[in-house]
Amino acid sequence: MTRQKSLETTFIEAFDKDLGLLPSDDSDAWTSSQRQAIRTFADTGFPRPKSEAYKYTPVTRWIGDTPLLQTPGPVSATRLPLSELPGVHLKTVNGQLASAPEQLPEGLTVLTLRSALETHPELVRQHLKRVSEGTSSDVFGTLAAAFAPDGLFIHIAPGAVLPEPVYIHHAAVSPDAFIQPRMLVVAGENSEAHIVEHFPEADAGSVFENRIVGVDVAMRARLKHLVVYERGARARFVNGLYVEQKGESVFSTNNMTLGGALVRNNLHFVPDGEHCETHLNGLYIARGGAHVDNYTLVDHVKPNCFSNELFKGIVEGGSTGVFNGKVMVRQDAQKINAYQSSKSIVMDDRSHVYAKPELEIYADDVRCSHGATTGELDDEALFYLRSRGIPEKTARLILLEAFARDVVDLISLKEVRTYLNTRLGQLLAD
Amino acid sequence: MNMLDIKNLHASIEEDGTPILKGLDLSVKPGEVHAIMGPNGSGKSTLASVLAGRDGYEVTDGSVTYEGHDLLEMEADERAREGLFLAFQYPVELPGVSMSNFLRHAVNSVREHQGKDELSAADFLALMRENAALVNLDPALKARSVNEGFSGGEKKRNEIFQLAMLAPKLAILDETDSGLDIDALRVVSEGVNKLRGPERSFVVITHYQRLLEYIVPDVVHVLVDGRIVRSGDKQLALDLEEKGYDWLREDAGVPA
Repeated sequence: MTRQKSLETTFIEAFDKDLGLLPSDDSDAWTSSQRQAIRTFADTGFPRPKSEAYKYTPVTRWIGDTPLLQTPGPVSATRLPLSELPGVHLKTVNGQLASAPEQLPEGLTVLTLRSALETHPELVRQHLKRVSEGTSSDVFGTLAAAFAPDGLFIHIAPGAVLPEPVYIHHAAVSPDAFIQPRMLVVAGENSEAHIVEHFPEADAGSVFENRIVGVDVAMRARLKHLVVYERGARARFVNGLYVEQKGESVFSTNNMTLGGALVRNNLHFVPDGEHCETHLNGLYIARGGAHVDNYTLVDHVKPNCFSNELFKGIVEGGSTGVFNGKVMVRQDAQKINAYQSSKSIVMDDRSHVYAKPELEIYADDVRCSHGATTGELDDEALFYLRSRGIPEKTARLILLEAFARDVVDLISLKEVRTYLNTRLGQLLAD
Repeated sequence: MNMLDIKNLHASIEEDGTPILKGLDLSVKPGEVHAIMGPNGSGKSTLASVLAGRDGYEVTDGSVTYEGHDLLEMEADERAREGLFLAFQYPVELPGVSMSNFLRHAVNSVREHQGKDELSAADFLALMRENAALVNLDPALKARSVNEGFSGGEKKRNEIFQLAMLAPKLAILDETDSGLDIDALRVVSEGVNKLRGPERSFVVITHYQRLLEYIVPDVVHVLVDGRIVRSGDKQLALDLEEKGYDWLREDAGVPA
């Protein structure tokens, strides 16, 4: 109890020292929203040990007693493997836009979130408010909102169809620091875009990225999103993604967690309009004592929507995987089709998977299903491969790659699929 | 030298120690086809499993010599690379593993063991086409996952197709006829017959004589209670069809 209190106090005191907790006359909209966020954070506090949403993943354990809130000199990733692919390429340093992008395709706007307060005041103010008040974030998101010095703003104009993907290379981070990136993505009405975020391996020790991302998908917009997380074996990541969809829009996100010591994906979706389509998928490989938690909530508030969820995990070497997927269908949300599936392979006795699918349905005319399986690699399948002369190690690799490929195949970009299949092969062969 | 020499083989189920094979002897020469018949529970599938190296069985006595080497010392995949092939009674589905990927790994593992280069993509595809035709399999299957969504007959034909691809020295067919209608049985048998040769031996395990009308064996053995109680020519299979197994049980002093 004392320890938790002191950790929250640590953050609040740091905030007070830096920005001051009390409102000041000259403060701008950004700073005001930061103050609102730290108040929400102080009221909410970190999840208690019995918290349902965090019971398998006590994140504060990975924060430690003395989070490094100053950011020492950032280190760059040694390689940005996706940077040669055709598309728009953006880079961030500690979650902030590294340099103003040149030559953007028509309909795409990329700004810092602070400057977007000037250019798109209504959109941004509304987003800041929702996060700071905790309606579009949980406590980690509001913490990020309190400390983020700025953020990234991506806007796709109504009707714009981006011909190529937008790649965001989270290219540099400060070693061991607790950094708090934020981002707002707005897909205008009837627009179409594909956003790929890459967190490449960087020699950044136990860097903790606690980020909050808001995504607004307008009427009939079609937005695809992919996150590939490949930081080092000590890195930590809380990935808050809050998506709101308007009618007839299609949104998909795919989360590839291939690195890190702690990864918690907080994925929230509100299809707030009829005939929305939502796809959320993920693949994780937890090795060497890592802890990976995919927490998803699809909140169906409007009728005639479709959502589909597929998460797969491979867990080995004393690691832990968690899948906690909740689908909520509100009373007026009739004719919902909502599907959810979670599958994991546990490679050894020291590793564990906790799967907790939840359906909460208040409407009476819906089709919902969920399934969760956890098991070892199939002995009979392994023997079948070996009986054809394939050495055991290769046989295992073939089966694991086949297991993972389902999720990779959902990515529509061929070059990215090729990259991921190669990386998976390397990781699994280790 | 014999292809296979089994002497006084005793094997039990590892989990609970139940003895299944109780002193089995069998010798197979190159090019011979041996049929092993027997009632349910006599140990037919256990014999196939022990020969192929499946986990879960313990050999408690006896020996198995394959081409002069101790077979039981080898891992399952090593046995396969040395030219032993098991056609499964229940072929396993491998979702997400394409037939071509599976066979490319298998064929090249065997070739590497034999000191040969990997097959080129073109040669490999040609080999697949040729062997698929042998058992009337649709060549489009190469893109499909192994056995996934295959009918019962397709699965069994797929086993013989794999046999053809790997060109083993000793093939064990474990109840390849079970679940096949007469047309599929004919296709499978014709495939096997085309693969017979002076250097290749077969051990055909079956419950019924029906298969042996198509794959005519050189020797028929009857397995009862973990031992071979009688051996003969193909006439023995016909006698069994007519009289059942009970008369042999009595001869062998085993209660029915």
